[in-house]
Amino acid sequence: MIEFRTKNGNMYAWDNEVGLFIPFSHAMRGVLNKISNHNPPSREEVIWQLKNEFPEEDVEFCYDWLNKWNRIKLKKPNYPEIHDPDKGDIEKYLLKRGFTQLLLGVTEDCNLRCKYCIYSDFYKHSRGYSEKYMNFFTAKKAIDNYFSLLEMGKRFNPLRRPTIGFYGGEPLLNFKLIEKCVNYIEQNYYKTMFVMTTNGCLLDEEKAKWLMKHDFMIIVSLDGPEQEHNRNRIYANGRGTFKDIMKNIRPIMKADYKKIYSLPVYDWRTDILKQEEFFNLKDIPQTMAVSQVSDYAGSEYYDQFTEEDRVAHFSKIEEGKIQYYQNLDHHRFKEKNTPFDALFGTAPGNELFGSISIFHSDPIRPFTSACIPGTKIFVDVDGIYHLCERVPYSFPIGNVDEGLNLDKIIKLIINYNKAMNKCEECKVSRKCNFCYQMFMTDCTISNSSEVCNEIETLRKNSFSSAFSIAEKFPDFIENSNPRHMNIKKYR
Amino acid sequence: MYFRLNPECYLIKGRKLGAIFDLIDGTTYALDHGETELINNCENNIQIDKDNDTLKELKCIRLGNFYDNKIYVPKLKVGSPFVKDDPLVPLYPPEIHRAFLEINNSCDRECWYCGYHGVKRSLGCMGCNKWENNDEPLGIERWREAINELEDLDCREIIITGGDLALAWDKTVEILNHAVGRFRQIYLIMHQESLSSEKMDHLEDKATLIVQTERPDSTKSNHLRYLVVVKSNEHKSKIKEDNTIYDYIIAEENSISKEHPLTSKKKLSGVNMFKFLSHVEYHPCLGHSLTICNNGDVTPCPMMRNHCFGNIRDKPLYSIFEDSWERINQFWKLNLDRIEKCTGCEFRYSCSDCRALEERLTGKIDGKALCNYNPREGIWT
Ligand code: SF4
Ligand code: SF4
Ligand code: SF4
Ligand code: SF4
Repeated sequence: MIEFRTKNGNMYAWDNEVGLFIPFSHAMRGVLNKISNHNPPSREEVIWQLKNEFPEEDVEFCYDWLNKWNRIKLKKPNYPEIHDPDKGDIEKYLLKRGFTQLLLGVTEDCNLRCKYCIYSDFYKHSRGYSEKYMNFFTAKKAIDNYFSLLEMGKRFNPLRRPTIGFYGGEPLLNFKLIEKCVNYIEQNYYKTMFVMTTNGCLLDEEKAKWLMKHDFMIIVSLDGPEQEHNRNRIYANGRGTFKDIMKNIRPIMKADYKKIYSLPVYDWRTDILKQEEFFNLKDIPQTMAVSQVSDYAGSEYYDQFTEEDRVAHFSKIEEGKIQYYQNLDHHRFKEKNTPFDALFGTAPGNELFGSISIFHSDPIRPFTSACIPGTKIFVDVDGIYHLCERVPYSFPIGNVDEGLNLDKIIKLIINYNKAMNKCEECKVSRKCNFCYQMFMTDCTISNSSEVCNEIETLRKNSFSSAFSIAEKFPDFIENSNPRHMNIKKYR
Repeated sequence: MYFRLNPECYLIKGRKLGAIFDLIDGTTYALDHGETELINNCENNIQIDKDNDTLKELKCIRLGNFYDNKIYVPKLKVGSPFVKDDPLVPLYPPEIHRAFLEINNSCDRECWYCGYHGVKRSLGCMGCNKWENNDEPLGIERWREAINELEDLDCREIIITGGDLALAWDKTVEILNHAVGRFRQIYLIMHQESLSSEKMDHLEDKATLIVQTERPDSTKSNHLRYLVVVKSNEHKSKIKEDNTIYDYIIAEENSISKEHPLTSKKKLSGVNMFKFLSHVEYHPCLGHSLTICNNGDVTPCPMMRNHCFGNIRDKPLYSIFEDSWERINQFWKLNLDRIEKCTGCEFRYSCSDCRALEERLTGKIDGKALCNYNPREGIWT
């Protein structure tokens, strides 16, 4: 169990063994310490031993309740032991839950030089820019291969629908290819969801119309008001991109197209209050997610900031949080999501209710939230398959000619599991949302013992802030849990 | 001072009264009006007096505790309640847990309680039935393939039923042999009079046999359960035997015996953590379940033959999921929150419900006849 306190001084604990939170107390800790011995004393002995420290009725309560709580722990038998996966395991898993998205990296070229881009010099383990473009033969093979995997998978998961994303560099630099792919799919296959992640600078009216006609989900990288956006998102010549993007998205917003999203990013110099104000404006697309500029293994991005920047940033975050919770009703009923919804609105609910499972962990992938490679398929310009657009190119999982390579996938999982050397004793493992990108460097996978030094402290802090919010706004927190709304009927 | 129920204890409120469900002990505590108000206030973090006897009692039986400050008690869950409806995260496979395979529809017997005569039984689906239907039955090959499909969908248990399986014994054995090892549990339903020791030997270790009967004989085996048909007025607190399930005849709505577990306070005894949490979203019986009828029709349950999602003669089972998922899911999610009477009842996540019977009795898919509780008033009649 890891203990934490909220601002009001209430105690709670995270019970990693069952993946649940419980209210906690000093007496509870006292009793727990006694009964977690190899040779635990009897109830009477515990009560007697603690009689000077806590009221007897509290000790009795804790003793009985902890024993009751222990009964939800599922017994191990019937459950497969952790083991290295074999081809059958992987095949079955992917046929059921894999192939969720085919992502075509249609070019490695980009018309921008954003300062925080993972392909920039700050991130030494990523691939860097090139002038390479994918050709139609490669794309077609990837598409055919993807649909044949889905076809095989149908009897295992009849509900899955094809999703194809276009990614870059800047995908619109290879717009001709995208057009060809979409036409090819529409002529030869069935209803597919298309996704385009773009910096928006080449999204002229004609292209925008075409994307809307084909029902694309359009995700635009937009960081906030002009000054903030232009601080990082610039052309190679240093000019800011804000004005061009705004001009380009205007017709889409005017057409009241619903499937356009922005994907803002912030760092320690972002004025998140101004950013929030900006995304509340009527003609700005709803926010899909917000993320902080990544600080992966090997990144030097954060070296540019001072301690003052960091402190100032966190005080802005606090200020934003206060503002958000003072206006809860406004946020609850407003039309679209903004960065604060992601940052403050859904975060505590996620912390409380996300990744709950009292079941034993997956025997072939016991730790972290890493997917089974093949869950998503990222195809680079040369037709090589990678497990995700965000990992280095040194861990390929197949290519357009051979398809997915199960041996490579198995090897990758085994190596990854081996590198997760701290996870077995990690007290927040069931809440772990790390995956490959957190650990992969050029050609190796770092050990979790190196990467996760302070993870328990970090998680404790975020548990504590989530519970502080939950104590104050329990209904708000529980509304984030719509599937269970009926439980509270008539209350 | 504040008082809060423990994580494992849910207060569920109905229109009038409430009840506490202890998901670890599996106990239900029905509350009276005063208790309901009191505990509801506590759960809403309203301050209370520490000297309250009811609350002290609750602490004593380890259902809740006193706290100095307002706290937040996250309730026990077995899995994450989040729906991932992010369009980038596509749907997971349908979770089918149970399938009825009605591999035969003929029978030479004339049991008075057979579904054939329109007789309503509380557990009609757990026994055999024959139906007015001259469609050609599915062949063995299609049944094998259906079993393969169910396996690929990770179906957990199957129930092989008829008609009289003895009349198609070779087919039954072949289908059963094909199914063995592919599911966690296999049940096979037969009338007592169709059984012979030779047939029992065939089944040994392969399936659990459910024996339809009026008078169970004394054969005992781990692989055998009796489904005993009981007329409602006959039932006088029979001694419950481990391997016996009672199947009550339901005459008409107004003739329900107060003794029926289906309709009386008796049914409210136990609560199971997994089931309770599942019933917050899914129907206690229809949820995660499907039936393949003898002619290939796919229906929500063996008794709801008028709702058909498609026929596996024309297409694979997975295509039926693909094409009719919305309707299938509507049946699966027809939990008691969606049933007109139960929606206001505090027992809605622990109660059982036979939709097939209720629909026949009330003519409505969300009607309720078989219940002696009035949740509006909070009284048993
Ligand atoms: S982010 Fe991690 S878990 Fe998600 S798809 Fe990429 S590698 Fe897999
Ligand atoms: S040690 Fe790190 S990677 Fe492993 S479970 Fe804990 S947080 Fe996750
Ligand atoms: S044995 Fe079963 S199917 Fe045959 S008449 Fe009796 S109840 Fe109906
Ligand atoms: S049948 Fe419905 S109304 Fe009756 S006790 Fe059950 S849930 Fe309540």
